[in-house]
Amino acid sequence: MLHKARLLIFILVLMLGTGLAAQDMGEPQYAGLDMDLSGVNIRMANIGGGTYEVMYESISVFEEATGATVEIVALLDGFAIDQKLKVDFATGAADYDVAWDHTSFMAQYTDFLLPLNDFFSEEELAAFSPAIMDAATVDGNLYLIPRHADISPIHYRLDLYESEEIAAEYLAATGEELTVPTTLEQIDRQARFFVENGHSTFGYTLAGREEALTGRFYEMHFASGGSLFNENWEPTFNDDIGVAVAELLRGWYMDSIIPVDTTDLLWDGVAAYFCNGDTAIKLEWYGWYAYFQSPDNCAINHNFGLARGFTGLSVGGDAVRPSGWAGAHAFSIPATAPNPEAGAQLIKFLSSERVAYEEAQLGYLPVRNDVWTRIIDDAAMAENPLDRERLVLAQLQVSEDFKTPPLIAEWIPFSNIFYPHMQAILLGDVSAQDGLDQAAAETREMMADAGYYG
Amino acid sequence: MTLQAQVQSGSSAEPEQRFTDGRISARWFPVFMLLPAILFILVILLFPLVYSLYVSFTPYELLKPNSLKFELARALRNYQRLFADAIFWKSVGNTIVFLFLSINLSYVIALGLSQLLARVTRGQGLMRTLLMVPMMFAPILVGFQFRWFFNANVGLVNNLLFSLGLMQERGQIAWLVDEPLGMFSIIVASIWMNLPVLTIILLAGTLSLPVETFEAADVDGASSWQQFRFITFPLLAPFSYIALTILSLDISRAFDIVRIMTDGGPAHRTELIWTYVTRLAIENTKFGLGSAMSWVTVVLAVAFTLYFFRQLVRSRVVR
Repeated sequence: MLHKARLLIFILVLMLGTGLAAQDMGEPQYAGLDMDLSGVNIRMANIGGGTYEVMYESISVFEEATGATVEIVALLDGFAIDQKLKVDFATGAADYDVAWDHTSFMAQYTDFLLPLNDFFSEEELAAFSPAIMDAATVDGNLYLIPRHADISPIHYRLDLYESEEIAAEYLAATGEELTVPTTLEQIDRQARFFVENGHSTFGYTLAGREEALTGRFYEMHFASGGSLFNENWEPTFNDDIGVAVAELLRGWYMDSIIPVDTTDLLWDGVAAYFCNGDTAIKLEWYGWYAYFQSPDNCAINHNFGLARGFTGLSVGGDAVRPSGWAGAHAFSIPATAPNPEAGAQLIKFLSSERVAYEEAQLGYLPVRNDVWTRIIDDAAMAENPLDRERLVLAQLQVSEDFKTPPLIAEWIPFSNIFYPHMQAILLGDVSAQDGLDQAAAETREMMADAGYYG
Repeated sequence: MTLQAQVQSGSSAEPEQRFTDGRISARWFPVFMLLPAILFILVILLFPLVYSLYVSFTPYELLKPNSLKFELARALRNYQRLFADAIFWKSVGNTIVFLFLSINLSYVIALGLSQLLARVTRGQGLMRTLLMVPMMFAPILVGFQFRWFFNANVGLVNNLLFSLGLMQERGQIAWLVDEPLGMFSIIVASIWMNLPVLTIILLAGTLSLPVETFEAADVDGASSWQQFRFITFPLLAPFSYIALTILSLDISRAFDIVRIMTDGGPAHRTELIWTYVTRLAIENTKFGLGSAMSWVTVVLAVAFTLYFFRQLVRSRVVR
């Protein structure tokens, strides 16, 4: 009898243990469902369009479990939601509990947001990538909970790098092996070689307008050991490193290494050049991966590889480092939110492992460590080995290279000053030094107006 | 003296006062009746205008509510900055070029189209309907459409030129980048959007002209060109000025087109006052500076409108 009882207990323990293990390794879990919010109406203003909205379909689970109702007051594209938030914050009309946010935009909103430290436990926050949480923290206050991130690896055409004929030709022309580039100078040499020898229409492609151009310059300058501003927020991008980067880009434009309409290109235009196989190398966001691999959409499908972002120009000496301009979409709580606690519960739900995992399956890069593990495991069974390599590389970049723009409210105004000057440099309207000096002077005036220099 | 006698003689002040009071009331009665509408207009139209004028004299930034305060010593700073800003003057120059070419070329093409349409004897209704199609497009859609037409990589124009053998390599011409092609491209899009209204007004004007005049000109042996030059064109003047006035007031709708096609770039090459205001006021949240620029736009728009109205009045007097 005793023996039977012991056996029964053993079986029960085994079943319980197996059940717990299944819960840990099996289905990812929701969060934020542990509070009774019956009768509470949670209002949310968020980014919308395309695959962004798939996440919101899970909100019905939250409503059913908590008794709350969720009212989506705005679903707008990134530009439009930014404008709405600015106007609502300025007029005190941000009467919603959850608002879209982004690491690149957060600094301009902080005066109008609630610090989130008190709403989330340390255990809950530990689930997210530390580099992103650092970028979300100003003066010890956490202002956003990340949703998904993006960063850029090098994309390169496989046919160019797997051809023995091209490799021999490159060796003869330059005296070095043709390998996947790791430095900006290697990219320069290889891009020029591919174009000059007719192997590719363009050697490189980059976005050439708006914040996209500012960001790409920032990334190259940073990777070369430079910094846009010094510790006193004086602009320093017109230093030797900045001039070297600007001259590199200008040389590419003048020599048709990059497309003639570079200064008109945003992300979709850049992607189009790679998609149709016209570009040999480029730095591109991971988010385009599914598009590039689609045989229906892109000639480049299954003909490209990925590598970690380049290190910068040797003019930076020992300070060169991998590129890593990155950003994360996120959630915040406005200071004027009627139900901040309920808003925090909704954010916990939307950033939970389960919802984050479902969104990551659409191709977005996760910001939670547990979701990384899951999607990398899932990709191990993928037909294309690059699917898994991509995720491993992305996790490495997000954890080690994640670098936001300066966390200041003046980032976008600075960008609006900077990028037209950079365009003028590219187009040959002004020299690299003069263009950067002029941009620096205007930036200094803008920063002085904003009270940075006392 | 009876009351009647007093009134008739005018010797008593009291009845005259009543009469005067009555006349004052009668004079102001319509004003009282219109007061709700006047107040509505003041609140909706005038208040924002005056308020934006006030804001233009402050350093107001949208996300810094405390910056909305008037300081006499800094009141003119926005205007001083604007007048010392080379990009501002470039945007003013570009705007004048854009307005001049867009309005005048739209008019010339619409005039030609209206004369051709007026001579169509069959299917004129269908052609008028087709002509109205561009009006059905929101300016932002027109912007996207022409941005694709002029795209260097996958655009219609470059691919057409390449297919016809007029371009050696695909994507050689950067329509939205090179000078003056960028300005040319946005003017083409603007003209496409302007044509329907202008053409319909001018067509209506042409069809309303007296037939006898043209018959007399025929008898006198006037050529078609002479009839157009000395009869049609002068008689169409009132219609022309109405059409141009409407267009000059409506032309700011082209902002959406420019915003989508070039957004004032690259390197401010196609910067117009509207795109620059948007960048300063909305994106950079500098409402004070943006308001100052907007007032310059208002002054320009009023100047254009006054000019066309004056021409309209003059043309009617001549007629």
